[in-house]
Amino acid sequence: MRNQELDRILSRIGSEKEEIIPSSGFTASVMDSVRREATTPPPIPFPWKRALPGLAAGCVALVLILTEMVTHLHQHTMAPEIPALTVSAFDPILKAALNAGIGWIFLALLLSLASVMLSLRLTSAKT
Amino acid sequence: MSASEDQADVEKVLAGDVSAVEGIVRRWQGPLINLAYRFCRDRGRAEEMAQEAFLRAYRALKGWRKDAAFSTWLFALATNLYCSELRRIPAATVSLDDVSEPRDPRAPDGGLEERDRDYAVRQAVLLLPAKYREALTLFYFHGMDVQAAARSLGLSEGTVKARLFRGREILRTKLERLSLAPRFERACNKEAL
Repeated sequence: MRNQELDRILSRIGSEKEEIIPSSGFTASVMDSVRREATTPPPIPFPWKRALPGLAAGCVALVLILTEMVTHLHQHTMAPEIPALTVSAFDPILKAALNAGIGWIFLALLLSLASVMLSLRLTSAKT
Repeated sequence: MSASEDQADVEKVLAGDVSAVEGIVRRWQGPLINLAYRFCRDRGRAEEMAQEAFLRAYRALKGWRKDAAFSTWLFALATNLYCSELRRIPAATVSLDDVSEPRDPRAPDGGLEERDRDYAVRQAVLLLPAKYREALTLFYFHGMDVQAAARSLGLSEGTVKARLFRGREILRTKLERLSLAPRFERACNKEAL
């Protein structure tokens, strides 16, 4: 079969107008859902303004902890080459964090973030 | 169908008159249901998809920039929805081997009458990969030209032309692989005469 023949068959099938008449209740059914939609209050937006200071503080804390962690690791691995650093105010926090298993906590936070991102993406794809 | 009626109804809806949606639904229910039917070949599902399309159009009405006709915007929205719905839950199809079974093997032409062949072609279109099926459905079964199909699919005309070409190629290969290919070929030749 050549492409031209197939084109002709498809055109002929397409020209046989098989018209579907909407069922009698279709308009009413659409209007019901539109009215329902109109009376539904809009979804509450996420309170970014309120959450922003908290998020910013969290980010700053995370950056500080990470910086301290890197410094700490650096000190341990390269101790002979680098001069001793002044003891920062974060050292006790860092030690406590390391004792409490900061790596696992960090991993758990990352996993939570990934699952939130994934669910947000899935729900936005559905809507 | 008048563009000014659409525009007037849209303005009423945007001003808060929800009942004006009814005018839009009455004017466009036929075309939208038929478009959905050509994608899924299932009347019930076509109405469900068309209802969802109207609901989405209502939600997105503010987004209609009046640089394009309301119908163009509505069809693009509906096509987009139908395509994603059918990618999510594909239309019920039968395998081409089942389609090619002759109804009456004693019949002189092997039972593959024109109707059977058309049915086979329709089923073969439904079995195409989505991007080719969508282009072929709009172009052949919904009577859109390349430009309109491209607008509805949000693609360039060149891409639509390429998809039509490639879709026909795949379709031809599939149909040639039918167990009744010689009879199918004969039926095609008969039509050409």
